[in-house]
Amino acid sequence: MTKKDMVPGSPVRRRQDDPLGANSEIGRKLKQYYDDLVSDEVPDRFAALLSQLEDAEPAQNKD
Amino acid sequence: MAVSAAFKADLLAAIPSLRAFGVSLSQNADKADDLVQETFVKAWDKHESFQPGTNLKAWLFTILRNEFYSQMRKRGREVQDSDGIMTARLAVHPSQHGQMDLKDFGAALERLPEDQREAIILIGASGFSYEEAAEICHCAVGTIKSRVSRARTRLQDILKISGEAEFRPDAISSQVMGSSAA
Repeated sequence: MTKKDMVPGSPVRRRQDDPLGANSEIGRKLKQYYDDLVSDEVPDRFAALLSQLEDAEPAQNKD
Repeated sequence: MAVSAAFKADLLAAIPSLRAFGVSLSQNADKADDLVQETFVKAWDKHESFQPGTNLKAWLFTILRNEFYSQMRKRGREVQDSDGIMTARLAVHPSQHGQMDLKDFGAALERLPEDQREAIILIGASGFSYEEAAEICHCAVGTIKSRVSRARTRLQDILKISGEAEFRPDAISSQVMGSSAA
């Protein structure tokens, strides 16, 4: 593992301070990072999975 | 007993945050989706053991987390890619603003030990209380607290934003200021 930090002279953050409490900067980035992931489109496979599970449901009892 | 419509709806509604948690843990979008799928199926099978009125999201996060660690144990940690290959993949993700920032942040997050990473995600991003996070991680509340604060310190350090935490009489920022990391 390299010791060198890859952080390029961090661009000036002009954005407002989010009222995220003590750890504002980290807190804000953390949220941003996470919200970005949350807002990602959900792949169809999950809807498909749901119908598969639903289809399988009645069959379970007869096993 | 059949799975109730409400349970299904809640399950579906939880998918975006489960995926986000999965990516945060595994640092890999494909693995995260596998984790979510596994979680979904397990939750479905075990739906009767879920007590209505308790926190479904926490219950699901617990399942996903258990799944993550058991897969990791099975694979004997082939996951070791501390310096950014996965991050680069992750970064493909379009985001409206602060893309560079986000990339940096993801890379920094990836350098944290899993226990710290999950703690700071659960508390700082997923919106769980310390008590809930402790339950999800099967540990004491105090343990979560110290993991979160270590994670925060570490991230500040990596991202070199120690100064911005201001001069609050805060143990964390003074730690950061005092560190002259080798």
